[in-house]
Amino acid sequence: MSQLKFSSRVSSDQPFYNTNHKFIQHHSTLFQFNVYRPLKLSKFPTINCTLRDLRERIATVKNTRKITEAMKLVSAAKVRRAQEAVVNSRPFSESLIDVLYSINQQAQLEDIDMPLTEIRPVKKVAIVVITGERGLCGGFNNFVLRKAEARIAELENLGIDCTVISVGRKGNSYFKRRPRFSVDRFIEGGGFPTAKDSQVIADDVFSLFVSEEVDKVELMYSKFVSLVKSKPVIQTLLPLSAKGEIRDGNGNSVDASEDEFFRLTSKEGKLSVVRDKLMGKKDVFLPNMEFEQDPVQILDALMPLYMNNQILRALQESLASELAARMNAMSNATDNANDLVKSLSNVYNRERQSKITNEILEIVAGAEALL
Amino acid sequence: MTLNLCVLTPNRIVWDSEVKEIILSTNSGQIGVLPNHAPIATAVDIGILRIRLNDQWLTMALMGGFARVGNNEITVLVNDAEKSSDIDPQEAQQTLEIAEAALRKAEGKRQTIEANLALRRARTRVEAINAIS
Repeated sequence: MSQLKFSSRVSSDQPFYNTNHKFIQHHSTLFQFNVYRPLKLSKFPTINCTLRDLRERIATVKNTRKITEAMKLVSAAKVRRAQEAVVNSRPFSESLIDVLYSINQQAQLEDIDMPLTEIRPVKKVAIVVITGERGLCGGFNNFVLRKAEARIAELENLGIDCTVISVGRKGNSYFKRRPRFSVDRFIEGGGFPTAKDSQVIADDVFSLFVSEEVDKVELMYSKFVSLVKSKPVIQTLLPLSAKGEIRDGNGNSVDASEDEFFRLTSKEGKLSVVRDKLMGKKDVFLPNMEFEQDPVQILDALMPLYMNNQILRALQESLASELAARMNAMSNATDNANDLVKSLSNVYNRERQSKITNEILEIVAGAEALL
Repeated sequence: MTLNLCVLTPNRIVWDSEVKEIILSTNSGQIGVLPNHAPIATAVDIGILRIRLNDQWLTMALMGGFARVGNNEITVLVNDAEKSSDIDPQEAQQTLEIAEAALRKAEGKRQTIEANLALRRARTRVEAINAIS
């Protein structure tokens, strides 16, 4: 039974002293009372409560919609900046590829022995997993992490040890909660990736490889395919080779089946991906270029640059994918919020109207009873 | 006759204009490059790059890379480059101390390699600031 706080004064000149409990209950709605209306289940899938609760709910959803819309706009603006960052890094990588190619040509006949191209039988692999910093980006982080898990399982089936270098807060918390993955280092990024950030990772990877703790290093990140699609990919970082497969102790290829080499360029101001080979253009390289040191030392200096560049590219692409994913997720959330507001408003109005109708009916019934 | 110097890092172009002379630190010592230098290609060590524009010397800390000189065009590709005016002396000194402490604590081949690299970088940054003063 609903509670009834009947505190009004019924004036004594009223000709009825109806002690009918039900009538008093209805009569009291004419005055301002604290009447606890019973919960009514409606025919719609949403459960609605009192009028006041519905109003609050509509206000809450509108607030949330404001937030998601703002996040969408912010992400859209940042994607553009991420794109510009990629464009800014192009002069460096183009010159680098130029130089690498021509030096390779000239030093073809020499017997080069460089630590970073050394191909050893693979017993241990390090995987650098790049994820995002914050959430609210749809399935972005999940895709990369699931692929990482699959790859680790694949390698362990081949009897190869795995260690993980996790970059990004989301990946860090994921691996921290799963102690069965041996993690070498947790690295947190922040904002737009700079050469310093990629240097940290490059140092780590370099020392792991050169000290022979691992025999192969792979990079796993989300490749930016388009504004609505991104794909997690695996790329072999070390040992460096233009092409060629890395084999383990038993001669089985341990490359992931989709190991690929890519180049991110900007076409007509839009981020686009062009698959490319390592061979760059060989136009204006002076044929009689003298090497100040022997080619070995020069290549030694070039390879870390190249590695740094690759890692930075991966970080930038991962960031662009994350921003695009967040933009999409927030856009979906805003649409959902809009739908929710509409349906809640509908229900609210129906409730309101039925309440008014009830009151009118009661008044009319009461008036009739008087007659 | 001036040289056209281009200093590139993976994420931006640090310097792209004309200079009179530069002094570069390489693995085999320092080399000075004047206009009409013979074309060479050299590895750049973690060290200081000195640039002269009209009797005024500017220093930049370079974190290792590669340089190519030819036809009065110099292209320097480095992992990172910082102009000495952009480096905070206090912070550079602190980084140096942290790096030294890390090297002392380093165990094993791998940590030593990392610590060594970090130390060289920190030292270069401090030197870049001291070189102009």
